[in-house]
Amino acid sequence: MRTVSGFKATIEALAAIFWKGIKHYTRYPGSFLLYLILPFLFTLLIFGMGQFVGGSNATAYFAARTGSNNVLIYEILGSAVWMTSWVVVEDVGVALRDEQMKGTLEQNFLAPVNRVTLLIGLSLTDIVITAVIFFVVVGTTIVITMPTAFLGLLQAYIALLVGLIPLFGIGFLFAGFVVKFKEPYVFVQMVNLLFAILTGTYYPVTFLPHWVQFLSATLPQTYVIEDMRRIVLANQTLVSLYGSIFILLALALVYPVLGYAIFKQIEKKASATGEFSKY
Amino acid sequence: MNLVEVQSLSKRFETKEGPVFRKTSKTVVAVDQISFGVSSGEILGLLGPNGAGKTTTIKMLCTLITPTSGDAFVNGFSVTKDQQKVRENLGVMLTGERTLYWKLTGRENLGYFAALYHLDPSYSRKRITYLLDLLGLREREGMLVENYSTGMRIRLSFAKALLNEAPVLLFDEPTASLDPQSSRLIRDTIRNLKKEGHAIMLTTHNMEEADILSDRVAIIDHGRIVKLGSPSELKEKVKSSDIIEIEARNLSDRIAEPLQSFSEISKVAVSTAELADEKALLRIHAEKGKEVLPRILEFLIRKQVSVTKVSFIEPTLEDVFISETGRSLRD
Repeated sequence: MRTVSGFKATIEALAAIFWKGIKHYTRYPGSFLLYLILPFLFTLLIFGMGQFVGGSNATAYFAARTGSNNVLIYEILGSAVWMTSWVVVEDVGVALRDEQMKGTLEQNFLAPVNRVTLLIGLSLTDIVITAVIFFVVVGTTIVITMPTAFLGLLQAYIALLVGLIPLFGIGFLFAGFVVKFKEPYVFVQMVNLLFAILTGTYYPVTFLPHWVQFLSATLPQTYVIEDMRRIVLANQTLVSLYGSIFILLALALVYPVLGYAIFKQIEKKASATGEFSKY
Repeated sequence: MNLVEVQSLSKRFETKEGPVFRKTSKTVVAVDQISFGVSSGEILGLLGPNGAGKTTTIKMLCTLITPTSGDAFVNGFSVTKDQQKVRENLGVMLTGERTLYWKLTGRENLGYFAALYHLDPSYSRKRITYLLDLLGLREREGMLVENYSTGMRIRLSFAKALLNEAPVLLFDEPTASLDPQSSRLIRDTIRNLKKEGHAIMLTTHNMEEADILSDRVAIIDHGRIVKLGSPSELKEKVKSSDIIEIEARNLSDRIAEPLQSFSEISKVAVSTAELADEKALLRIHAEKGKEVLPRILEFLIRKQVSVTKVSFIEPTLEDVFISETGRSLRD
């Protein structure tokens, strides 16, 4: 038998899991539409609330509070980051649960593929699709409404990609909860809605009470959203935002290690109780 | 050298029962201190009724369930300490047809798992083609598994277990719900794998399958191995009795139980499984069977049991099971 090992083996396994996901998507195509429309719907919701409740001075108030008068870009950046992070946080656990329901989780766990590779791979398809859709949705909006900011978007996109790494750690933690409690949406939806409140998705976090801002500071999305707005709307560069990029890199080191350690503990217990084959 | 070595392996599950806020803990012993070995080129059948502990044993061997105590070694690697190495040395087919991706084709399923087993891509393509040919699935390789028949899905699942050419193969009920032709194909393939030197373990509650395929059979009941040996050795031990098989209607354990009091009768077991028209099968182990048969029939007729067939039969592994446990394997 001929096998591959090391980095090549990991890449081959990740590619196989990724393409399996893509094939599933093409055979259940409805989700594409949802991903394309959601950021616009969330933005329109907030935009409408501002316009209809705030009245004719809404834009001026908005500019005074946020420092930007481009409501559409400000909100769509928040919406799109929120949606992308929602997918990353949710997807490891949801994909694991999906495999468990299909009856294929044990088949994956029987293989000698590394667990981290498997966990990342299971959510890779959704993450890549969401990240590409993010670029298409936000990119199209920027090209139409303020084309000069498009180069800034490329820099902002790097901040987003760095910010996704710590989110995997939170995703691993949820995956552990899913293995244990089998109800992925209870935790994930509650926490993802909290993320929208805490990370400045639709307003600056500086308006939150100080103790809440402390919580915001522990979440990577807070820095990603703020950085993206500064780059796209305030013409700052990625280099000038090195402080928050440094924090994101630090979180990228700590969160995945912590999240995976907790997942492994729960997995160990699940293996003792025969949890993997239970619905 | 044994490629599978199981040493005092046990598994206890803690379960909670009762209404909310008044749940009580209960310990279920699924596998209790079992030990055995399987060498290269040997097939060991784990035979037992549903819930006997066969699947739990297989799942401990393939690292899906952690043993409570004891250890097992696959090609020298411990299932409790070297799990990654154990997985590399195992090919496993778990029971059921939902072990595949129904929205992928047959070839795509095998390709996916080949990558998880780190097979070289060019080699895996050839290996997949070979296995699809071997199991008669080549013509349907491009069809989504959701459109496969049950037999095709089980054959594909079997092919998946052979992808990595592992020295140790574990098959959990490999022919369950298969038609006779597919069953024969799987059994022939298992025999060929044995000739190639694989150590093979299969679980089954089909005694004929255990008999014809296994070099040795471990009869398992309530998590314990009650008998271990070659099928002929095991059957030899019950040959001293005559075995009477009676097919009848209106028959139950309760009705047949008093037959145990006949001095010539050593074991009585009733099975209702696999028989149509509300018929049941009564199996009796007796000394001087021909002499005691009239009294048995008279007793049954008095109990308004409608006897449809009586035969004296050669002992099977089911009789070994009845002899050891006093129960039928089919229930």
